[in-house]
Amino acid sequence: MIYREAGQFKTSYEKDSQIFPIAQDRYAVVALLLIAFVAVPLMATPYVFSAILIPFLIFALATLGLNILTGYAGQMSLGTAAFMAVGAFASYNFMLRIEGMPVLVAFVLGGVCAAIVGIVFGLPSLRIRGFYLAASTLATQFFVVWCLTKVPWFTNNSSSGVITAQQIEILGFKFDTPQEKYLLVLAIVAIMALMAKNMVRSTVGRSWMAVRDMDVAAEVIGFRIMRTKLTAFAVSSFYCGVAGALYAYCYLGTVEPEAYNLDVSFRILFMVIIGGVGSILGSFLGAAFIVLLPVVLSVIVHYTGLPNSVTSNLELMVFGALIIFFLIVEPHGLARLWQIGKEKLRLWPFPH
Amino acid sequence: MSERKIGDVILKVDNISLRFGGVKALTDISFDVREHEIRSIIGPNGAGKSSMLNVINGVYHPQEGTVTFHGEVRRDMDTHQAAEHGIARTFQNIALFSGMSVLDNIMTGRNLKIKSSFVEQALWFGRARREEMENRRVVEEIIDFLQLQHVRKTPVARLPYGIKKRVELARALAAEPKMLLLDEPMAGMNVEEKQDMCRFVLDTNDQFGTTIVLIEHDMGVVMDISDRVVVLDYGKKIGDGAPDEVRNNPDVIKAYLGAH
Repeated sequence: MIYREAGQFKTSYEKDSQIFPIAQDRYAVVALLLIAFVAVPLMATPYVFSAILIPFLIFALATLGLNILTGYAGQMSLGTAAFMAVGAFASYNFMLRIEGMPVLVAFVLGGVCAAIVGIVFGLPSLRIRGFYLAASTLATQFFVVWCLTKVPWFTNNSSSGVITAQQIEILGFKFDTPQEKYLLVLAIVAIMALMAKNMVRSTVGRSWMAVRDMDVAAEVIGFRIMRTKLTAFAVSSFYCGVAGALYAYCYLGTVEPEAYNLDVSFRILFMVIIGGVGSILGSFLGAAFIVLLPVVLSVIVHYTGLPNSVTSNLELMVFGALIIFFLIVEPHGLARLWQIGKEKLRLWPFPH
Repeated sequence: MSERKIGDVILKVDNISLRFGGVKALTDISFDVREHEIRSIIGPNGAGKSSMLNVINGVYHPQEGTVTFHGEVRRDMDTHQAAEHGIARTFQNIALFSGMSVLDNIMTGRNLKIKSSFVEQALWFGRARREEMENRRVVEEIIDFLQLQHVRKTPVARLPYGIKKRVELARALAAEPKMLLLDEPMAGMNVEEKQDMCRFVLDTNDQFGTTIVLIEHDMGVVMDISDRVVVLDYGKKIGDGAPDEVRNNPDVIKAYLGAH
């Protein structure tokens, strides 16, 4: 009864193409943002910040990046972590080598470097697709990590390969505590999510989806296939690059190649699948789900009195089962379930 | 039919030959299309009708011959050039973007009119926002014209066949084309849907003055709405002219009915 759009008339196209055309949705989003920016920082413990909220937001951003490429533009990629690594190391080197480089600019430049690498490794997508493209992006994954390990310049000749990330300081304000880092990450993620939404509701997003759904028709209409695919790779890698930099600076506190291995790429792919292919909201749901799952499982294991070693194995089993479940039952993931729920709610308590 | 003024030759294909390896899809085809006319291409299955359209808008590149559109002579077009020069088309097997809504599908037809960069679009600011709204208005007019209001926001995958064909026409019209290539727009439709489609094709021709090149198997439709008809058989042109001439052409009768 509450979630009803009766009486809300759109009198301009502008109103009709809002991100949240239904008023209740808008209130909900404003409330959510208020909670995230105001209530959560006041209440959450450092553990919640650094073990749940920060990784959730960072993975959500990376998932968003992969979702742009795989969900919207239809190009498979297994190199997400590699683009994240490029972003992290590029940011590190910009801050290290250029005196007085502002952190945010370094993050953006890190994203730009990731975008350039993304374009280069996206070139095969012009000739191959599907599994073959996935295999070629797998090469990105191994090449980038290998490169960062083998070329000492990238790690500033560090012998262990593990570097402590520089202090984050914006306009004299230091981001030290988990709470401050959380707010920084939240602000960046919120802005970038909004930009992603804007892209997918305008021509660039439509060009991605057109190429995904029917590339011959897209070409005949006048989209340039090459430019469209490479833009998708660039934007996607930019998002992953910024996520990678945040991962190093706000979560790990270190910059190291091994933090960006194939496992991370797969994790992010799972988040896309479980959250919802081709959905901005889905990226957040998927990331939340996969970040929270181990936490929830460990609580369950704790209360049932099973040995702790069970947790990690149980996690793998549940992951595997869930992936299979979603691929078979709901290929569009949690986002689709959410949408169905909303459709139902609009009519509730009536059946039609 | 209302008074229409048929103009000069807008498209001319000369001596087009197209081969796929040893298969000769088209052999030495020449014909022209005049501005504002409805020009049909007919022929038995495998005659090369769709290949001809693919040559005109640059999907296939013929080995010999030239395509002249608006006085510009080309050995072969590329698809992007064709779109920029105002050639739009629909496909024999519906080629809509199935994951998108009707509105978004039609909006894709406007892509060449949108000049803002993806950065502006990401910020949803200034030109990007204005263009989106201006083009939305044009698209809404087309939605109105083709009576698609009720399915505006429906994902095309959920639509029935006849409506999908209409959405495809809408997407092509959204580009405000000078010339529209329709590849079997009425295939697989029932009588009513065919009548609707005929009316839309005629209205398009009438209201926007769009030149139409039509491939169709329903002879009743072809003979009724075409100004001139080209007949292909096994990749060769066997007839060309007004519907009545073509109907009485012995070669055409032979191709359709066999030797007699």
